[in-house]
Amino acid sequence: MLTFQSKPFQTPYFWPTQKWVAEDSDYAIYLAKRNIRKKGMLEPYEQAHYNHLHEWLNHKWDFIVMQATEQYKAGKERKKPDRVVFDCQERAYWIVNKPPRRTHSAMDSGLELLIDPNSDEKIPFDTYRRMNLFYQQAIMRSKVKSSVSLGALNKYVATYKNHDPFLAPCLPSNPWLTDNDTYWTLNMRQLEVPTKMRVERWSFSLFELLSDLRGRDDFKIFLKKEFSGENLAFWEAAEELKWGTASSMTSKAETIFKTFLAPGAPRWINIDGRTMGLTVKGLDHPHRYVLEAAQTHVFLLMKKDTFFRYLKSPVYKEIQKKALNPEPHNFSPGQLEQNAQNRSPGIHPLILWQQDEAEKAKAAAASAPVDVKALMSKLDRKK
Amino acid sequence: MTSRWRRSVGELALRGRQRGECERAQEALGRVTSCFQQLAVSLGSSADGSFLRDEMDETRHLAQRICRGLSRRLLRLLSDCGPAPSIVEDKQVSDCGPAPSGVEDRQVSERLWVLFLSALEHFLSDLRKAYNLIGRFPLTQRNDRRSLVNTGCMDGVVAVAARVASVQAPWLTMEEEQSPDLTNHIAELEAMLSEMQLRVPVAFWSVEATQLAGAECGGLEGLEEGEDSLEELMEGEGGSRRPACCCLTCV
Repeated sequence: MLTFQSKPFQTPYFWPTQKWVAEDSDYAIYLAKRNIRKKGMLEPYEQAHYNHLHEWLNHKWDFIVMQATEQYKAGKERKKPDRVVFDCQERAYWIVNKPPRRTHSAMDSGLELLIDPNSDEKIPFDTYRRMNLFYQQAIMRSKVKSSVSLGALNKYVATYKNHDPFLAPCLPSNPWLTDNDTYWTLNMRQLEVPTKMRVERWSFSLFELLSDLRGRDDFKIFLKKEFSGENLAFWEAAEELKWGTASSMTSKAETIFKTFLAPGAPRWINIDGRTMGLTVKGLDHPHRYVLEAAQTHVFLLMKKDTFFRYLKSPVYKEIQKKALNPEPHNFSPGQLEQNAQNRSPGIHPLILWQQDEAEKAKAAAASAPVDVKALMSKLDRKK
Repeated sequence: MTSRWRRSVGELALRGRQRGECERAQEALGRVTSCFQQLAVSLGSSADGSFLRDEMDETRHLAQRICRGLSRRLLRLLSDCGPAPSIVEDKQVSDCGPAPSGVEDRQVSERLWVLFLSALEHFLSDLRKAYNLIGRFPLTQRNDRRSLVNTGCMDGVVAVAARVASVQAPWLTMEEEQSPDLTNHIAELEAMLSEMQLRVPVAFWSVEATQLAGAECGGLEGLEEGEDSLEELMEGEGGSRRPACCCLTCV
């Protein structure tokens, strides 16, 4: 095996230099030699050069072939390791001088010479200033190792593999393919019993859980049992602020402040002092994202603590057990035809929206601070 | 008429022999110059030394002898041939027998001419490079050896030198002339080149190759089994064979 004592360098004969431009006939000889060695299997770009030179240097071609053959034989007279070294160096020389397609040439030569190599370069102060700025910014940028990001991608794919409708069949059947909308009915917003896939999806991350409104409901049930619903309530309120109309923003901001942030508020959330200070100051001039910092903080609190407790809780375990696992459909072509004919327009979105609003009203009423006087009078009347 | 025919046949036969001599000399020149290149490649490397430089001198003296002889003979050949023969002469010659026509004769000589001039130019550029490198790495003093570059070459030029020694030029025994040093050698060759180009007008582009593209592949007998492993050896050291940006770290 070849071992060098120290890293070997290119021999001076093959050093790139402006003085000796690499001649076409030299290149032709090299290509002919390579042709002999590779028994006609040149790289495509080399073959293209070869054909071109065969045409243009046709008058010299006999000489080129003769010289190539002689050089080949002379090269064989060297000891094998030296021959390898020579071949490598020659190859490197020609890759630099005649670079393959779509590679950047290391030589800056010819008419497009950008730098005059014989002049002394005086770098001006402004260039240094810019260089410093560039390097400072480059250092400050947060970097992620590709191994880390690829690992994350890998993990994501592994987790979501079975839930992707392109990669895994959706149960019971894909409505777009079979014209049977059981899948949609089973995965509606307001549902007693969700499907198993849906429930599994909630366990992936808090974000998934909260994005699915049915999951959010389940989470709310759990939180009520734990008496720690104010974090989620604040988060929802912040979402409403973000997505709401511009006119309602000031009023919403006020309500949120009174309910969650004011000292001694009924549903006071526990966020750190700095964020609280920033948020309260921002509320003087409320805008859509004034609660962004606090919302993120609350989200992180829930994610790090409550979420995992939820996954281990009896609430979640029960819903997992109850969840449906529909059988996959197996329609014959005739049945598919029938399905196609019996397509229905589905539930009107207005109805769904009305249902949503009714639910929200109920929830608001349930969580409203208890009016003691009214309660007492009710009890009195009952008596 | 008969005597003229006999004379022209005789002339053609002589020219044929002379051409053969030139062809053999051309081959010898090719061998010597390629060996010279192999030696020149080691200049400035750790294999450089007085032995190498002596061998290089020997090699180029031999090349010089061949060049001088070839240039003289070719000049004679092409000046004797005269400019392209007129149609009248041509017909006369071809009427008289199966001897090759003057035009063909001329074409072959021109081909040799072009080959020699190409070889001369090629050798000259190698000589100039060698001159430059010797100037950069003079080995006149002991500690000059420190400037030599480690190219990973072990000494292997002995066999190359032997190859040079095996070359036989047809007129070596006859002529014994001065062996110039490198500078004068280059000057002499440059002068030879320009003289030849001025004396005989030859249209380079009218010469055609006798070999088809790719014909050289089949020529050589049985390449040894080690050939493919040579590429593997080259690949094995440095990872990817063809870097996306070409830098000189192929080895």
